[in-house]
Amino acid sequence: MLALALLLPAVRPAEARSGDVAVVVRADVPAENLSLADIRKLFMGDRQFWNSNQRVTLLVRAPVAAEREVVLKVIYQMSEAQFRQYWISKVFRAEAASGPKIVHSNQMALDLVGAIPGSITFADSSSVPKNLKVVKINGLLPGEKGYPLR
Amino acid sequence: MRSYLPVVCVWCAASFAGVAAPALRAQEATSQSELIRALLERIDKLERRVSELESQAAPQPRAALPAPAPEPPREVVETIPASVLQIAGHQEHITAPGLRMSGFTDFNFSATDRQGDISGFNEGQFILHFTSPLTQKVTVFGEVSMTARRNAVTGASEFPVEVERAIVRFDQNDRLKISFGRYHTPINYWNTAFHHGLWLQTTTARPRMTQFGGVFIPNHFVGSLIEGALPAAGLNLNYNVGLGNGRGSLVGQAGDFGDNNNFRASLVNLFVKPDRFFGLRVGASAYRDKITLLGGREFREWITSGNIVWTKESPEFIAEFANVNHKPVDGGLSTNSQAWYVQAAYRLPGAANLWKPYYRYEHMRIPLADIPFQNFPPISGSVLGMRYDISQFVALKLEYRNQRTPGQPRMNGAFVQSSFTF
Repeated sequence: MLALALLLPAVRPAEARSGDVAVVVRADVPAENLSLADIRKLFMGDRQFWNSNQRVTLLVRAPVAAEREVVLKVIYQMSEAQFRQYWISKVFRAEAASGPKIVHSNQMALDLVGAIPGSITFADSSSVPKNLKVVKINGLLPGEKGYPLR
Repeated sequence: MRSYLPVVCVWCAASFAGVAAPALRAQEATSQSELIRALLERIDKLERRVSELESQAAPQPRAALPAPAPEPPREVVETIPASVLQIAGHQEHITAPGLRMSGFTDFNFSATDRQGDISGFNEGQFILHFTSPLTQKVTVFGEVSMTARRNAVTGASEFPVEVERAIVRFDQNDRLKISFGRYHTPINYWNTAFHHGLWLQTTTARPRMTQFGGVFIPNHFVGSLIEGALPAAGLNLNYNVGLGNGRGSLVGQAGDFGDNNNFRASLVNLFVKPDRFFGLRVGASAYRDKITLLGGREFREWITSGNIVWTKESPEFIAEFANVNHKPVDGGLSTNSQAWYVQAAYRLPGAANLWKPYYRYEHMRIPLADIPFQNFPPISGSVLGMRYDISQFVALKLEYRNQRTPGQPRMNGAFVQSSFTF
């Protein structure tokens, strides 16, 4: 993890606006610009593959993190309890093999996104390193007017 | 029933007294949340500072940065927890399949004014659910139930174990998934939304049309399914196409150890979840089979059904309809039996959000000439209740039912259920 951290370059100045939540993927994930509905399908486990060879791996911040609260409100439109019940139900219905993997800090989320093929997470936009890809939502990057995750 | 109502009241009061303590600790929990939030923010700040210091200590020209590798370096993979690797499809680093298990169960109290009913406590089903991702594309799912029953011959209590679902599924991608196994038949919403997890559903019991042990909808299906989801211009069209053993000679049971005739059951289930109306789901299904009853009489069966569901909780809305057509193979009267229900619930806002009042009306009509259903009395009526979520994984439900069966007096009943997942 430390070795990986040493390779991390400076954060992106263009998106370095604290408060906006960036959707982040590995550079090899085939996603540049997604609609909010597409993002919702990914985070709700309704879309589980980027393509036939690459499964989506969800990394979600632990409860109480500000980023998680933004995502619960805007993407899931659920309370914390509803979010937990949703994923228990999803796995019980055999619609997903497991729920999202919980990460405990922005850095852990970004480290794992860089390490796991097909992974996607959300993080404070000011902390995203250059070697990871920030996905545009409805054509907008964090910091731009109308960006939905704030 | 009247003699039991004080017992119900006392029991409910005791239950609520037991759950009042967490409510009184709410303030403490809030301050803990604030503390955790502050600590997380502190961690994020420190992580950013460490990154800045490390990049200053070992500056690298941007052009020299290594491009992201298509696969993580082995040493990095080995530092990632096994559970992450498992969902990421790196099982080659793991020596055995990662089996995950969860469970559901419930305890109930019931009191009714129906003659012959014995009021009191009873234990619900004890459900274990298994999930095991074998590779990135192959997953095994299982559901086992243990149900408290009285032996029909000896009268002794017993807990027979039943494999409710056992499925192995190959996911090619989101559009195509192929599986084999024993399923809950995907021809209505409730049967595949809540399975045996009573904690997941709002009410204490299933609607009569999809009741376990009932016959109206064949609850289980043994065979193969092809399923997937297509974007369909934002409609998100989901499909299930299945071929398998149909009903057994006892029409409420599936053909677990083989079909009882040479006619396979087939089904098609379609539903959409439009992007534009997040939370809405609209579906329709068709199911075809040939039934061979114990006496050897055979019937063609066509089931058509439809449902509309608003999956959010404020409000929650579920409506389903099904028509079952039976036509004797040897000629004779074709019959149509219908069942439908409408259920509405609303999770209260603000400080009352642990409470969720609900109401359901259901209706069933089975003609006397419908031979395969002749021993299944239709029940119609209302269910009115309140769900209270004691914690995120435990629910207490209080329910009043007013139902009637043709030719019998109307039944009034009070039901209390504590259901949970673990």
